[in-house]
Amino acid sequence: MTIRPATLALVAFFALSMAVFSVFAPRFASPSNIEDLMGGFSFIAILAMGEAFPILTRGIDLSVGAIVALVGMVIFDMSLIFHVPGYVIVPTALAVGALAGAVNGMLIVFVRLQPFIATLATLATYRGIVYAISGRQLVEGLTTTPIRDKWITGIETYFDLGRMLGIGRMVHLPAVPLSFLLMLGVFVILQGVLLFSKFGRSVLTLGGNAEAARLAGLNTGAITVICYAISGVCAGLAGLMLVAKLTTSTEGLGFGMELSAIAAAVIGGVSLSGGVGSMFGPALGAFLLGAILLGLTLLQVSQYTQQIVTGCILLAAVGYDRLLLLRRLRRRLANTG
Amino acid sequence: MTEEDKVAAGDRRNFLKGMMLGSAALTGAASGLFSKLDFAAGELGISQVRADTPQRIKMAFVQYQPHSVSSAWGKGIGEVLATQQIVDYQQLDGQSKLEVQVSLMDTLISQGVQVIFVQPVDSVGIAPSIQKAKRAGINVITLNIDSTEPHAAHVEMNHYFGAMDIAKTMGDAMGGKGKVAIINAPPGIIIRDQRTNGFKDGLKKYHPDIQVVADQSADWDRKKAQDVFNTVYAANPDLAGVYGVNDDMALGAVDIAKEKGLLGKLVIFGNDGETAALESIEAGELTGTQYTDGLQQGRLAAATATVLASGGVTPDAFAQQGHLLMPYIIATKANVATILPYQRW
Repeated sequence: MTIRPATLALVAFFALSMAVFSVFAPRFASPSNIEDLMGGFSFIAILAMGEAFPILTRGIDLSVGAIVALVGMVIFDMSLIFHVPGYVIVPTALAVGALAGAVNGMLIVFVRLQPFIATLATLATYRGIVYAISGRQLVEGLTTTPIRDKWITGIETYFDLGRMLGIGRMVHLPAVPLSFLLMLGVFVILQGVLLFSKFGRSVLTLGGNAEAARLAGLNTGAITVICYAISGVCAGLAGLMLVAKLTTSTEGLGFGMELSAIAAAVIGGVSLSGGVGSMFGPALGAFLLGAILLGLTLLQVSQYTQQIVTGCILLAAVGYDRLLLLRRLRRRLANTG
Repeated sequence: MTEEDKVAAGDRRNFLKGMMLGSAALTGAASGLFSKLDFAAGELGISQVRADTPQRIKMAFVQYQPHSVSSAWGKGIGEVLATQQIVDYQQLDGQSKLEVQVSLMDTLISQGVQVIFVQPVDSVGIAPSIQKAKRAGINVITLNIDSTEPHAAHVEMNHYFGAMDIAKTMGDAMGGKGKVAIINAPPGIIIRDQRTNGFKDGLKKYHPDIQVVADQSADWDRKKAQDVFNTVYAANPDLAGVYGVNDDMALGAVDIAKEKGLLGKLVIFGNDGETAALESIEAGELTGTQYTDGLQQGRLAAATATVLASGGVTPDAFAQQGHLLMPYIIATKANVATILPYQRW
C-alpha cells in the first residue's frame, strides 16, 4: 500500500491544528478535552468510514442520519416498551441498520435510481417511520424514562488507562472511551476488508470504472448492495453509541448527520468520483472536524464562524480532490495520446 | 552508528523526554491538579473577591435553537451577569440537536465554567451531561424544559396553567361554542405536551361545548403554519378559533386569515408573548397570547446562578431541585397596553 500525498496532507493539517489549539485555546490540551474529542466524535468517524463505501462506488448515502434515528427508535421501543434484554437489542439494532442500508443498495441496483435520489427518498421514508414507531408518542411517560439496560448503557464506558497502568498518580492521562475502541475496531476490520479481501479490491475497481468492472465479470450489483449495507451497519452502530450516551432516543436524532459524515469522508480523501480512498482518512477527517469545533468553541469563536471554517475546509478538500482527478485524467490522456 | 551519533541521539531522547514532562506538567496545571490551593482566600479564609484581581467566574447558556425566546433569556441573563463585574458569560447554540448540546456541555465542563444555563432539547438525553457537570461541581439551571436528572434549579414559563387560561379566555371570546384547530409543535417535546394538554384540559373545564377538530404540526414555524392553516381551514370552513402553540405559528394563521378576510370572524391565540405578537394584538389582528416576560425569566435565572456561584453552593448541597414558575398574563387588546416597552422582547 502506498501512502497518498492527500493522506499526508491531512495528517499534517490535523497535527498542525492540534498544535495550534493546544497553544492558543485554553484547556484544549487538557485530559478531559481529549476525552471529549475521543468520546464525542467516534460515532462520526464510524459514520464517515461507512459512508466511504458508497462514495468509493461513486455513489452517496444521504440516509445515514435517518438510519441513526431509525435504529435509535428501534432500540428505544425494544428496551422501554417490550423490555427486550440488551444482548438481543444490540445485534437487532445492527441488523436493522444493515437492512436499511441494503434497501438503499437494492433501490439503486434493481430500480436503477440515482444514489442521490434513492437515498434522499429513503432519508424521508426512514425519518417518517421513526415518527410512526416512536414509543415516545405511543406510550405515555416514556419521554421521561431513561434506558437503563447495562448492555446498552455499558457502551458509554471510560477506561482510566493511567490508573490501569499504575502511572495515574504521575501523569493525568485522558480516560479512553469504549466508543473510541469500537471505532478503532471498525477501522481495523473495514481497512482490512478494503485492502486485503477480494471484495475490497472489487469495490475499488467498481468505483474506478464500473463498465470495466462489469466486463471483468464482477457482480457489480451485489457489491453495490453490500457497500450500502456496510454504510447502514455503521450508521446502526453509531445510533447504538448515541443512545448509550444519551440514555434515550428522539425523533430528531441524527438530523443532518449525513452531512458531517460525508464531509469527514471527503476531507479524509475519499474521492467523490469513486475508486480512491481509505478508512484512515475518513476517521481522521471526523476527528479533525471535531478538534476544530472543540478548539474554536474553547476560543469562544462564534458557532456561525465555526460553520464557515468547516465549510472552507470542505471546499479545500473537494477542490484538492478535483485537482488530483484532473491530473489523473491528464496523465491518462498523455499516456494514450 | 558512530559514537557521536549515539550521543546526539541520546540528547534528542533527553530533549523529547523533557518536552513530554514539560507538557505533562502544563496539562496538569491546566486541568486543575493544583486547584486545591486557593490563593484568592486570605489567611483567615476570608474571600477577597473585591481585591485588585478578582477571580473571574465563567457561565454559559446553551440554547435550544436561535429564537426570540432564547435571545430574550440571553439578554436578561447577560444584563444581570454584566453588573456583577466578575462573570464571563457566553451563549452557545444547540442547533436543535441533542448531540450538539451534549458536545457543548462537555466542552463547557472541560472549560471549568461554574454555572451552565440550558434549555435541553430532550429531558432524558441531557441527563447524563447534567450528571457529568454535577460531578465536576458545576451547577446547572434549566430553562423551560426540565431534565429527569435533578439539578440546581428549573425556571419555566407556566406552560400548563397558562394554556388552561388561554382556553378559558379564548372560549369566552368564541361565546363558549364552535370548532377550534391547534397548530402544534412536532411531537416528542415536553413543552408541546404541556401547552396542548393544558389547552385541552382548560376547554374541558371551562368550555366543554368547544370541539377541537384539528391538531397538526407546523414545526414552530410561521411559514409552515400558513400552509397548515390553509389546509385545516379548507377542511373546516366553519372554524371559529385557532390556537398556535407558539406566537410564530399563531401569526402564520393570522397571515392567512388576513388574506382570506377572516380577521373579524376567527379567534386566534398564540403563546410566548413576543413583541411581534403584542403588536399584532394592538393592530387588532391576533386575538391574544400568553405573555411571559422572557427578559425577566433570564434575569431570575441569572440571579439564582450568581447567588449559587458567589455563595460557593455546590451541586451536592441541595436536598432537591428548585422550581420557579414564571408569572404571566393572558394579553388581549384590553390589557396589552399595560405591557410596557421595556418589558417587550
